[in-house]
Amino acid sequence: MNKLLTSIFMCLVAISAMAQNKAEIIVSYDSSFPNKFGKINTGKMSLLASTTEAKYFNDLSLWVDSLKSTPEGKAQYMEIIKKACMTVEPDGSVSFDMRKGPTKPTNSYVFTDLAQDCLTHYNKFGEDNGYYTEPLSEMQWTIVEDSTATVLGYECIMAESDYHGRHWKAWFATELPMPFGLWKLHGLPGLILKAEANGGFSFVATGLERTDRIMTPMYMQGDYSKVDRKEALKNAEYFANNEESIMNAQGQNVKIYSTDDQGNKIETPKYDGLKHNIEPDYKMK
Amino acid sequence: MAAKAQRKADIEVSYRYIIHLLCLFTVVSAVAQVNVTGNVIDKENNAPLSGASVIVKGADGKIKKFASSKADGGFSMTMPTVDGSCLEVAMMGFAKRSIPLDSIVFPLTVYMEPGSTLLKEVTVKADRIREQGDTITYDVGSFAQQQDRSIGDVLKRMPGINVEQSGKIQYQGEDINKFYIEGSDLLGGKYGIATNGISHEDVGAVEVMENHQPMQVLSGISFSDKAAINLKLKNKAKATWSFHGDAGGGYSWQPDGAIWDGELFAMAVMPNFQNITTFKTNNIGEDLSAQATDFFASRRGTDLSRYVGVSLPGVPNLSRKRTLFNRSALVSTNALWKLGRGEFKTQIDYSFNRITAEAANVTTYFLNDGNRVVTEDRNGVDRSHSLSGKFIYELNQKTAFINNTLKTNIDWDDVRLGVTGSLSNNQTASLPAYYVGNDFKLIKRFNGKHLVTFISKNEWESLPQTLSVSINDGFMRQQVKDHAFYTNESAAYAFSVKGITISLEGGVKGYVRTMRSELPDMPEEIPGETTNVLNTNYFTVYATPKFEYWVRRVNFTLNAPVSFAHYTFDKALANRSEVYFSPSLSMNWKPNNRFEMSVSGGTGRSPMDLNMIQPGYVMTNYRSFRRGIDDFYNSSSQRVSGRLSYKHTRRGIFANAMVMQSWSHRPYTLAQQLYGDYVVYSYTDAESDGQMLMASGNIGKTLDFMRGSANINGSFSRNESHLISENTNVNSVGTSWSVGAKINGAPLRWFSFDYRFEWASSRMSMNGTNASWLGNMENELLLNIMPHRKWEWHISGEHYRNELTADQFKNVFLLDTKVIFKLNKRLELSASLSNIFNQRTYNYTTYNQLTSFESQRWLRGRELLISISLRK
Repeated sequence: MNKLLTSIFMCLVAISAMAQNKAEIIVSYDSSFPNKFGKINTGKMSLLASTTEAKYFNDLSLWVDSLKSTPEGKAQYMEIIKKACMTVEPDGSVSFDMRKGPTKPTNSYVFTDLAQDCLTHYNKFGEDNGYYTEPLSEMQWTIVEDSTATVLGYECIMAESDYHGRHWKAWFATELPMPFGLWKLHGLPGLILKAEANGGFSFVATGLERTDRIMTPMYMQGDYSKVDRKEALKNAEYFANNEESIMNAQGQNVKIYSTDDQGNKIETPKYDGLKHNIEPDYKMK
Repeated sequence: MAAKAQRKADIEVSYRYIIHLLCLFTVVSAVAQVNVTGNVIDKENNAPLSGASVIVKGADGKIKKFASSKADGGFSMTMPTVDGSCLEVAMMGFAKRSIPLDSIVFPLTVYMEPGSTLLKEVTVKADRIREQGDTITYDVGSFAQQQDRSIGDVLKRMPGINVEQSGKIQYQGEDINKFYIEGSDLLGGKYGIATNGISHEDVGAVEVMENHQPMQVLSGISFSDKAAINLKLKNKAKATWSFHGDAGGGYSWQPDGAIWDGELFAMAVMPNFQNITTFKTNNIGEDLSAQATDFFASRRGTDLSRYVGVSLPGVPNLSRKRTLFNRSALVSTNALWKLGRGEFKTQIDYSFNRITAEAANVTTYFLNDGNRVVTEDRNGVDRSHSLSGKFIYELNQKTAFINNTLKTNIDWDDVRLGVTGSLSNNQTASLPAYYVGNDFKLIKRFNGKHLVTFISKNEWESLPQTLSVSINDGFMRQQVKDHAFYTNESAAYAFSVKGITISLEGGVKGYVRTMRSELPDMPEEIPGETTNVLNTNYFTVYATPKFEYWVRRVNFTLNAPVSFAHYTFDKALANRSEVYFSPSLSMNWKPNNRFEMSVSGGTGRSPMDLNMIQPGYVMTNYRSFRRGIDDFYNSSSQRVSGRLSYKHTRRGIFANAMVMQSWSHRPYTLAQQLYGDYVVYSYTDAESDGQMLMASGNIGKTLDFMRGSANINGSFSRNESHLISENTNVNSVGTSWSVGAKINGAPLRWFSFDYRFEWASSRMSMNGTNASWLGNMENELLLNIMPHRKWEWHISGEHYRNELTADQFKNVFLLDTKVIFKLNKRLELSASLSNIFNQRTYNYTTYNQLTSFESQRWLRGRELLISISLRK
């Protein structure tokens, strides 16, 4: 327990010490996950990496969080949202369509720190902001040398790993000697440019550039509390499937429904971690 | 409580049991295993590197095992066998290392050197400029471009560092005070040998040490506002001899004939021995004598200067390599041995220069009874040899500093200049110079805060000069014998307490000089004495108190030298005794690492230059005569100056600015008088006040997106002085300013460029009448294209736009090209064609109402040079 606390503390120290660290390269990835509607969610993510640290995030989310981290910025952000999303109907009623505004596409941030030998994942689990740390040794790879792919002109070697309930294949470039990669993947002797997991989860690098961007630490760290990963994921699944009743139990009066492409109301499908979560081990015995 | 302790003990026991078991298992399984362990270390600073990728590849080239280095740089892997395997260590910003594992003993220490990792389209590399305390480190690889050869070529691109045409290096606008190679001062002020010779590929990093106090014994006691440069060599260039050589031959269209350019350079940098030996020769317009110049040389105490000055005609405002018709050779050998705690150095140089020059002027006078044309052709040869040796012993420690330097210098300079035309003449000058000197310096520090210094300087110099002029059937021969001995013995004591350093230097100086000159056949037009028999001797007792005070990053220094001097002139002049006092105050403020400011000022009285005491005429060239002063005078001067500098290393910004104003007051004034065709310079008893204002600024910035840098600079000066010409008082004011810009970069992998622009303008005013501003512009562009790894193609052009008279410009455009084929890392072939358009002359004509003046000068014509370069 003490060791765990120490390593958590060290991670926090490391995160705050990271304040002014410059990245050397930036990689952009396209990510695809299956969603509960049976479709594929696609997203754009970025990885900033130096020789000892990496930060995986979404640029728009980062922008929103950086803005919201100061009172003036927060007010400015609300203005932007109002202008972009608010519609005043002729009868004076107000409606918001958040899809029109710069809202966070994802809440997930992954910070990997070699010096502290751990990674820290920040996310929104259900209603709550939380974070957890993980020793880097949790991910172990086997190299399948004969299986190669070319990504962005780099020859990549494949490696395999079972990680938190999924079987991962990752392609890494030894020409880029950095043990980082997309999402939480790490620990190969080269940057991971492509990865796939069973169930339709996939990532591929779409750009790679040198940069001198500062790897800013997590904004509004105080808003995140330490969580147990599996517990948090369980809570998130429960929240996803009971959002309406949870909100109503808190004294609100909402009706949540889904629409199809034509705008017809449809029943919201159930969220199933085994199908829809990238780390389904919380549902496995 | 006791129960708790018992439980703890139980847990400890069970932990121990488990650990023992684990160890046992490890031992059992280790029987057939190899532990591949080691550490990854940054070669530059010996610090562990974490995050390096460590791969064991089998004989089949496949990855068998991998790891990444931990925070302490350590890595560990177990393998059944390592036979035929190879360990590869890679990290962004470092060169990849590959180590065969057969017969390797673990743990292994892997040193990583900075190197660039090539990204597709974009390059990732080590920070181009890093800062640590007072030391700024520039990564050489990231500033070097394909066309660069020597480290000097790369230094020019580093923002904050400026390399003058002569090769002198400045950092943030101030001359550097030391030039080290791997921490050793092998070359002293002759670092041009290193900057022109050492290949940039042998240098890993250039370090600039700010506020460098070269004498360790003075560290913390005496402040230095100068910076030093240290070249950090790559490992491959250390502990071994490295060589490179170039040999080229070809043909020139003007001067018509064969051309050559060769260089041999050998360097050894070992822990206890360093040597740099170089041999260079060429006749393609490269002046080699500048490369052996001692940039740290202080003024000689003997203080002699030549009376005779026959100079060859030059071409104004064009690069020297375009107009120099030379045959030059330079041999320089420099060695350093570390002997116990001290070091012994020798520096021996020989240079030969033969320069020819030619010029023609045609002046047409438009007269009522027909035009009168006066032509003058000048044709000359200057042959000079210079042999110099320096032998130095130095002990540089925290408690003691000893330096003894013995230096000798022998020059032979023979000049022949023929003039045909209206005043036909032939001048031949023989101008040898002999010099020997010994400097001894001892500084001892005791109890940490007390310093005692002894200095002894002894110098002897002889400057015989002979000038023979045959003119219009007549013949004149000027002979000058001038020699001097100078000695200076001093002792100093200093102590430091609570940030205040107080020192007092006291000593004696002695000077004995004799000058004899003879000019038997003086032109009849010039009245006066033509022989000089002079002795100018002095004996001085002096004391220099100095206070240095440190308070919160501010340093104040007050110098207050006072001296009593007695001058004797062996009856030629009355003997004199004088007291001089010249205090100066300076302040330096460095609130943080980025910003530095200093101001200083001084005032003083000083004796005149003793060379100016000269009652009889001396012929300096065929039409100029000089007469000095027949009395002894003192002059006084004041000066104030300020400097600012700013740097932001991470952003690669370096900026500096300086301004200086000085005033001088002399009780004598230079006078110019014409007697027929002759000009006579002399001094008269008239007060002369002069003043000078100088200002300059410089901003440099790295351009990381294209691995380049940019620089802009500007300067202004105004110089006001007096002279008496033809018995009329002339107050002359010279004003000049200049702006320049430089930019270079490699925006594409196969393309790099260098561009330079300079605009300078000046104006002369006499007695309030302004002549017009005359401006000169210079553009230089070099493009470097690498169509293939083994091929390189340079195209360079120079454009000059020189204003001859108001609004009349002379444009010159010169184009060069060079193709290089890199056979392999060691061998390179190249062919260059310079001045492709074969521009042979620089001619121009200027007109005014009554005359036209036509000037003809010659340029180096088209040249084809085929070269081979070899390096080890």
